[in-house]
Amino acid sequence: MSELTETTAQRGLRSASAGKRLSVLEATGIVLFSLISIAMIFPFLVMLLTSLKQMKEILSPQFVVVPHKLMWSNYLGAMLRGNWALYFFNTTFVTFITVLVSLVLNSMAGYAFARLQFKGRNALFIISLIGLMIPPQVTMVPVFLILKHIPLAGGNDILGNGGLGWINSYMGLIAPYVAGSFGVFLFRQFYLNFPKSLDDASRIDGIGRFRTYYHIYIPSSMPVIATLICLKSTDTWNQYTWPLIITVNDNIKTVQLALTNFRDQFQTQWNYLMAATTLIVLPLIIIFLFVQKYFVRGIVTSGMKG
Amino acid sequence: MRLRSKRVSTKRRSSQQEPIGYLMIAPFYLFLIFIVLVPVVMNVLLSLTDYDLRSMHFVGLRNYIALPQDIFFTTSVRNTIVYTFFTLLFSMGLGLAFAVVLNENIRGGRIFRTAIFIPFVTSMVAVSMIWLWIYDPSNGILNVALSLFGIPKQQWLYDPNLAMASIIVMSIWKLLGYNMVVYLAGLQSIPAYLYEAAKIDGARFGRVFRSITFPLLSPVTFFLFVTGIISNFNVFEQVKVMTDGGPDNSTTTVVHQIYDRAFNNFQMGYGSAMAVVLLIVIAAITLVNFHFGEKGTDVGID
Repeated sequence: MSELTETTAQRGLRSASAGKRLSVLEATGIVLFSLISIAMIFPFLVMLLTSLKQMKEILSPQFVVVPHKLMWSNYLGAMLRGNWALYFFNTTFVTFITVLVSLVLNSMAGYAFARLQFKGRNALFIISLIGLMIPPQVTMVPVFLILKHIPLAGGNDILGNGGLGWINSYMGLIAPYVAGSFGVFLFRQFYLNFPKSLDDASRIDGIGRFRTYYHIYIPSSMPVIATLICLKSTDTWNQYTWPLIITVNDNIKTVQLALTNFRDQFQTQWNYLMAATTLIVLPLIIIFLFVQKYFVRGIVTSGMKG
Repeated sequence: MRLRSKRVSTKRRSSQQEPIGYLMIAPFYLFLIFIVLVPVVMNVLLSLTDYDLRSMHFVGLRNYIALPQDIFFTTSVRNTIVYTFFTLLFSMGLGLAFAVVLNENIRGGRIFRTAIFIPFVTSMVAVSMIWLWIYDPSNGILNVALSLFGIPKQQWLYDPNLAMASIIVMSIWKLLGYNMVVYLAGLQSIPAYLYEAAKIDGARFGRVFRSITFPLLSPVTFFLFVTGIISNFNVFEQVKVMTDGGPDNSTTTVVHQIYDRAFNNFQMGYGSAMAVVLLIVIAAITLVNFHFGEKGTDVGID
């Protein structure tokens, strides 16, 4: 699809007629959208300011806008509530492995569906699209039970009974998210547009199908790979429902899950909670600002997100 | 989203089979089978039992018969529909309005678009925490701001009459950027000559919007509507974090009930029955989508 930031149908019209002068209409639009944009990022400003306040400022009946003294120590304080180094490690590790494995599985399947001839190929592809239509919330009970009964894992016997299986393990956090029909769909669409001559050339050279995929297709798939890295990593990083179900102990917690710990107390420590929230949200927003292009492209194509 | 199967290429070398293809889709298919296909079937089978992690008996349709009498379930269905209706209406409506203006390429448009889109990128848990604080009855900024206008303190998420509305407002804020971006993509695929013709005819903005923009965006609107219904029917995270269904079950939703039954009370069979009902509704919407989706021309989506 066309780039969102590039010229639009109307841009030609407008720049032709209005030139560089700021019309009253445009000025109104700019003012209006400045206000809207401020309103949209306002909650994040509240988050930042609160994270730097002292509790007595937060509880004071006289509302404090900007903290009297910037309490950077709140960030340290928040990170010492629980094992945050571990939570960040867990989330990063799970995100990294999920993205990596799903890229391998998706690109391989996408290539096979786009370029190889085998019986039942199209039927198998259409069946795989069921994965796009079934929201994970609907199947969480059976998926939980399947993972609980993985044979010989987590204290299970060979029939999958007796133990926890993949419950409360990295495998349990990763396994449900590596398949990703959307990625297969995206790679297939991308490879269908590749020139056939690529395959013919490699056939003449006597390179096998798998090596054609690995040496020729993969290096040329960077746009799809970039898009999928953006979507999949934010999705996994932001994951909450599934970790909530599959996690029992503290040692396997992800950051999103750990964030809810701050609320379990008698009085919520809003400054600590907002400091931890900032640490979870800010890296993602900063990365997003740099890779917006790929992200938006993926979002517009997917439609299954959100 | 539609797939165009390339029949031509299949026919071309139908004799030459490449069994390595099965090998290359196998790892993906293994996960697909155990994470999607088997669970769907299992869900239906479980819903016919009273499985509670200890024992399992076949109970026929008893779970389904119990559902309409279950006040928690019926409440959750009503709440889910209310949530979906208002969240979708406002996030799509505002998304369209914003997209139409930003498509006019005003100065700073790129910055505005980024600011409006950012909430969609951040995690639902994190933004739920931020809004919990904004809505806090005693010290939250919303009550402080309203008190400047002499409006008394509200209980927001602790008030059964306001809790759902509070969650909806937050969700609109989070989702409207997504709708805006998809609408923007749709707007850019509308051919420029249509607007030029309208300009020559001297058509005003309202007329151009009604006669050109909105009709040509209808495939995008349809797409956002269908996928929006499906994703909003599955609302759970903000409910779990902000209210956990309360107060007085005023914010419990279908997925929240599934979660509560299956993972708090271990009524796996009963929870599955709820999930099957949700699955049937979603499948029906998807089929309607496929049926009418054919009529939508290829504007923007892929």
